[in-house]
Amino acid sequence: MITSLDQLADIVKNKKDKPKLAVTWAQDENTLGAVGKAVRENMIEAYLYGNRSMIEKTSLKLGLDIDLFNIQHVDNEVEAAEETVGLVKSGEADILMKGLIGTDKFLKAVLDKENGLMKPKAVLSYVCAVDVPDYHKLLFITDTAVLPFPDLDQKVAMAEYAIEMAVKFGIQKPKVALIGASEKMSKHFQNAVDYAIMCKMAERGQISPCIMDGPLDIFLACDKKSAEIKGVDTPVAGDADILIFPSLEACNPFYKGLMLFGKGELAGMLMGTEVPVVLMSRSESEKSKFFCIALSCLMVEKNN
Amino acid sequence: MILKKLSELQKLIDNKPVKRLVLAAAHDSQSLGAVLKAAANKIIKPVLIGDEKEIRKLALEGNYDLEGIQIIDEPDIEKTSEMAVKIANKREADILMKGKVGTSTLLKHVLNKQWGLRTGNLLSHIALFEVKTYHKLIAVTDVAMNIAPNLQEKISIVNNSVACLNMLGIEMPKVAVLGAVEMVNESMQATLDAALLSKMNQRDQIKNCLIDGPLAFDNAISLDSAIKKGIRSEVAGDTDLLLMPDIEVGNVLYKSLVFFARAKVAALILGASVPIVLTSRSDSEQAKYDSILLAAATVK
Repeated sequence: MITSLDQLADIVKNKKDKPKLAVTWAQDENTLGAVGKAVRENMIEAYLYGNRSMIEKTSLKLGLDIDLFNIQHVDNEVEAAEETVGLVKSGEADILMKGLIGTDKFLKAVLDKENGLMKPKAVLSYVCAVDVPDYHKLLFITDTAVLPFPDLDQKVAMAEYAIEMAVKFGIQKPKVALIGASEKMSKHFQNAVDYAIMCKMAERGQISPCIMDGPLDIFLACDKKSAEIKGVDTPVAGDADILIFPSLEACNPFYKGLMLFGKGELAGMLMGTEVPVVLMSRSESEKSKFFCIALSCLMVEKNN
Repeated sequence: MILKKLSELQKLIDNKPVKRLVLAAAHDSQSLGAVLKAAANKIIKPVLIGDEKEIRKLALEGNYDLEGIQIIDEPDIEKTSEMAVKIANKREADILMKGKVGTSTLLKHVLNKQWGLRTGNLLSHIALFEVKTYHKLIAVTDVAMNIAPNLQEKISIVNNSVACLNMLGIEMPKVAVLGAVEMVNESMQATLDAALLSKMNQRDQIKNCLIDGPLAFDNAISLDSAIKKGIRSEVAGDTDLLLMPDIEVGNVLYKSLVFFARAKVAALILGASVPIVLTSRSDSEQAKYDSILLAAATVK
């Protein structure tokens, strides 16, 4: 079982068949720094699609040997998106990563019905594995970035993606907490209603493998003492692996709080696509950016 | 406690004060017969309100003894209901029973705001069945009162029924919320409500019972079937109370149990300040008698 992001990075290094990472419009320091480190650590082979002279200039500035990368010159970011998505689609690359291209243009190429990378009828969502010193295990949280107000179907998809990721980390039956402000079921709170429905779906094996409970507040989900004090009978009680949030605006500040005040690191990626798609915010730490690539390497491995 | 036969309800009232029952529009051969038989067995002490001449004639025909039975002569059916409800309201009767009066007429008086029997709770119907092929009595709700209950109404129906079963000594009745399938299906409201009720029960928002649902009828009453489907449920196969998605399903189940399974049944209206025996004309005299017995056992 993988219990930290450092361990994650160690595990995906030095594989015989290194995954091929295609980077869209790869010429900024953020992207090249993380990709360069991953190549140096023998984690991936990198295929950079961007302006060649810009790539060379940035590499020089970062002290990265240009030979670390396979560089393909393209004239603009839209072309870069089409080329890289095409490369992944044809199987010549295993992982897609966003560079300096605008997120909207990048996602447009990913979501394109004919030439894009979405699994049939899938929901696009974002899952993060968060490593915080003060929690006794890794925490998988969703959705920090894509779905503003997930409905029931989208919440189910979020849970399934987070479970899929946790299982890849070796957690056989992750404990899923559906996060709300209270543990009570009220028909006036649509999230509580959705959560109650999801719990029953989990009980009936319609969402699996997992142990699910909600609504729960963060304390009940992540702090055993609170569950004891409150006397709430929950199978998750302070030992959650996965936190599903009711909205992006709840989840995003939560993870940023963990990064800033909890000294956390994260590894995140898009889910719902045929291959892992790395998309990270410029404000993430160097380490977290590197962990995002490591995560994609873990997720690209086929289940045995 | 596990009850296997309706006749075992008798044990619950032995050594307890005899309950007083008021029968509205008592000039009805079947309900009169059941009441007088229950009176003879000291289950209840009746007050008969109705056309006295007709009551005496029916008693004679049925060979019933009216000795010592209080009769209030009132030939007007509407007035019998009003009087009966007022008597129950004043706590001079513990049980209200419908005789030869329409259900809507009697309920109109029960729901009267000044002198009715309102408690603030929803009125609901419970039917308790003795079925040869099941290992204990099984209650079914709501097969007669609430047509298409929403979530809030389902909560009230469960609360009414659980309180009634608690009175019978069934401390933590197992409640199966029925659906056509045991899986949650977004297009089937019954399965969604079932999931919500389960969660509310888990969070102690619905107390004194154990709720699981959705369960299909077979998983609710047969452990074997639940195991075959891979359902892990403390309720499956050992259900005390079946909560119906709506009256159509409930009524058909009720009647199929009676006609196909030859089940015995006792039924009540719950949620008023006293239990109400409100059997239909098509119910047998035995069903009426057993309903009186059930009412007597559930008087607070």
